[in-house]
Amino acid sequence: MVKKETLNSDKLIVTSIGNKFSKALLMAVAGGLLFVVFITDVIRRSVDLDIGWILLLRDIVILIAFLIFYVLVESIWKREQAPAKKLGFALVLTLVIGITSVLLFFISPSGFEIKNLNLIPLGFDSIVWSNVYGIVLSITMLIVLLVLRDIIFSKRRRGTKRNFIILLILIIASSLLTLIYRPMESGSEMTVLFIVTVIAMLMNSFRVSWIVYLSKREKILNIIFGFLLFCIFIGFDIITAKEGTIVGSSILFYSAPLHSFVLNVSLFATIYFGMTFISTLFHLPTAEAFDRKLSEVSSLHNLSRLVTQVFDFNELVDSVTTMTLEVCEAKSAWLEIVQEQKTGNIPKRGTFILDENSVVMTVALKNISLEEVQTVASSGGKIIRKQILDGRKPIVIDSIKEDKRTQHLVGMDNKISSLAIVPLLSHENVIGILYATKDVEFGFDKDDVDVISAFADHAAIAIENSRLIEKSIERERLMREMMLAQEMQKKLLPQQVPQFPQLEIEALSTPAFEVGGDYYDFVLLNDNQLGVLVGDVSGKGVSAAFYMAEMKGIFQSLSKIYREPKDLLIQAQRTLIGTIDRKSFISVIYAIIDLETGEMKVARAGHCPMLFASNHHASYVQPTGLGLGMGSCEIFEKTITQENVRMAKGDIAVFYTDGVTEARPEDGSEFGYDKLKDVVKFCAGKSATEIRDSIIMAVDNHMNHASPEDDLTIVVLKWNK
Amino acid sequence: MSNFKIDIREKENINVIDLKGYLDAHTAPELEKIFQNLIEVQKFNIVVNCEELNYISSAGLGVFMAYIEDVRKHNGDIKLSNMSAKVYNVFDLLGFPLLYDIAKDEAEAIKKFISVKK
Repeated sequence: MVKKETLNSDKLIVTSIGNKFSKALLMAVAGGLLFVVFITDVIRRSVDLDIGWILLLRDIVILIAFLIFYVLVESIWKREQAPAKKLGFALVLTLVIGITSVLLFFISPSGFEIKNLNLIPLGFDSIVWSNVYGIVLSITMLIVLLVLRDIIFSKRRRGTKRNFIILLILIIASSLLTLIYRPMESGSEMTVLFIVTVIAMLMNSFRVSWIVYLSKREKILNIIFGFLLFCIFIGFDIITAKEGTIVGSSILFYSAPLHSFVLNVSLFATIYFGMTFISTLFHLPTAEAFDRKLSEVSSLHNLSRLVTQVFDFNELVDSVTTMTLEVCEAKSAWLEIVQEQKTGNIPKRGTFILDENSVVMTVALKNISLEEVQTVASSGGKIIRKQILDGRKPIVIDSIKEDKRTQHLVGMDNKISSLAIVPLLSHENVIGILYATKDVEFGFDKDDVDVISAFADHAAIAIENSRLIEKSIERERLMREMMLAQEMQKKLLPQQVPQFPQLEIEALSTPAFEVGGDYYDFVLLNDNQLGVLVGDVSGKGVSAAFYMAEMKGIFQSLSKIYREPKDLLIQAQRTLIGTIDRKSFISVIYAIIDLETGEMKVARAGHCPMLFASNHHASYVQPTGLGLGMGSCEIFEKTITQENVRMAKGDIAVFYTDGVTEARPEDGSEFGYDKLKDVVKFCAGKSATEIRDSIIMAVDNHMNHASPEDDLTIVVLKWNK
Repeated sequence: MSNFKIDIREKENINVIDLKGYLDAHTAPELEKIFQNLIEVQKFNIVVNCEELNYISSAGLGVFMAYIEDVRKHNGDIKLSNMSAKVYNVFDLLGFPLLYDIAKDEAEAIKKFISVKK
């Protein structure tokens, strides 16, 4: 009886005999032993060998052979199969038992007579069949026991293994106990042991929690298998009982311990499969709910995957719809996203315009075509959408026939019977709408809607994150563009300030933002005439930068033709008036300096006046003139004037933009014209560079070192002749 | 930038807009909207009272330029009044007095409208 104890010492022995050769050898040894038993039985029939020790020896030989069989079976045993599959396997095994039993009945051997509580075979065929049947059944039952073990161990808890080992020990003990008695004899110890064993069987039979985790389909199969196995083993219990049929007698004659083993395992199988059948039956009504909970859990788990998909918007929305189908077993699902309407964009297919700023776009769909989605969204669908957008609560339509809003869906090819529509919320705003349909009425219960809602919340976060990433990438791109624009604009300004022995020039221009609307330029008209222009486009930023570039083009081309500042400005006005926006204008001041005489002609188009300083006295030179692009050309020409100033040694002329005079710290006063005048007034004797820096320092002090809000340009001229 | 306020009232069938505070790129759209609304309801006689206007930037000036043509097309006008010297200087630099009727005070501006009508 050592064979069953090895069962628990796991596979140590088994692995040590892993190779094929030793397996074949073991097989041969076991076969040989059983053959010897068979020969003994044959001899026993004619010669009286019923001496105690010989019979004991015969039983032990049989048990050793079965121990070997156990080792062999265990070595090829696969443990990892699911319990339900094992059940199917057990069913196949019982077929073996069944066929053999039926065969035995048909052949109907002569049987045995009971004599002195011993079994005496009535014919040679009885000996042959009891040998064959004893071997086949014992091995089959051994496998049945292994199957039961694996099923029980599939959901282990504390005590699972212990209980099973107790049962095994009791079964083994029962078998060993038979050695003391004659085959048909029974004692009170046997009865007691039997009762204890049955109790242990019952205890082990409560290990059926694996049933809970079966899918509904598996549970139905389980009920059928469980029931069949239960019936078969009941039948088997009966035919293998001691006083039962020829089947029982045959095994009993072959080996009393094996008979006890077969009977106990069969009884255990009966109880266990009976319990399986009943438990599964009770679990069946909740099977569907359990299935769904399981799929919900796995879907919600999948949600975490959404987080990693934020880099690909299309992949993300596709996952959202696919998972929606999974979580509520919907027939079809689609997702609409509320997007900003970019002006000038031609609406794409599946786009629905909400208002002037936003559109709703179908971004992903499953098991439904875009045309069908559009059908759903038409007529009453518009009402639903509006209710979702305004109410921000899920809407469930249990039956499209009953609901006014979905009358247009009756009789659609892609059958829809019930609908669930859930908003995707982000910061209390509806950023999308998730639709799910079923082709049965009342398809969405409260649980479904809760799950879809929970799901929609996660999806909203993922979509929002995806958008934020997109936005930040876009912002980065724009920033690079702006840096590029800044570089470009810098190149539009003179790279080098011209210098003459008699005329010092210094200039500086800093935009408040990346690009600005301030402009200054110099042009040498001929050997002794220099044009100096400072301009300021109204507004700031990119739009101003474009006009600034245009102004440069105009100045560079017109300055070579017109030798009077006034004339140039009149022409500039004519050129600009057609192209400039009504709200915008360009203020410009233009001076032409005679490098021989220091004579300066100044014309102004709405620009800050020139500051002229001579001998500690400073004044503004402000000829009249409208800003470029402001009035009609007629008024412009009529009103513009020009002034002449003659520069003497040490005289200073400062051109600037309103960034200087209007520099204002927060909640403070402007820098102003008077302050500028004061600064320049005391600059006699300073170089042009020093004068420029003085002005900047004064402005900076006035601003309390805060960053300026407007573009700022200064051009300083100093006459040294 | 809430230190800008616009009030609108009607006086002798003329719409008077009171500007207070700083009119710059941030606040200009508010004034734009007012002009748009007035033009929409066919009110073309407008006086802008600049008494409490502290500052006007080029963007602010642009608002007047944007609507003057529309208003004048309908025989109306935008007249400015009660400017402080500082604000007047800004208008003056750009040559606004050449294009716009800038009155000393509101009454004078209104009187001009009425006399034209007669």
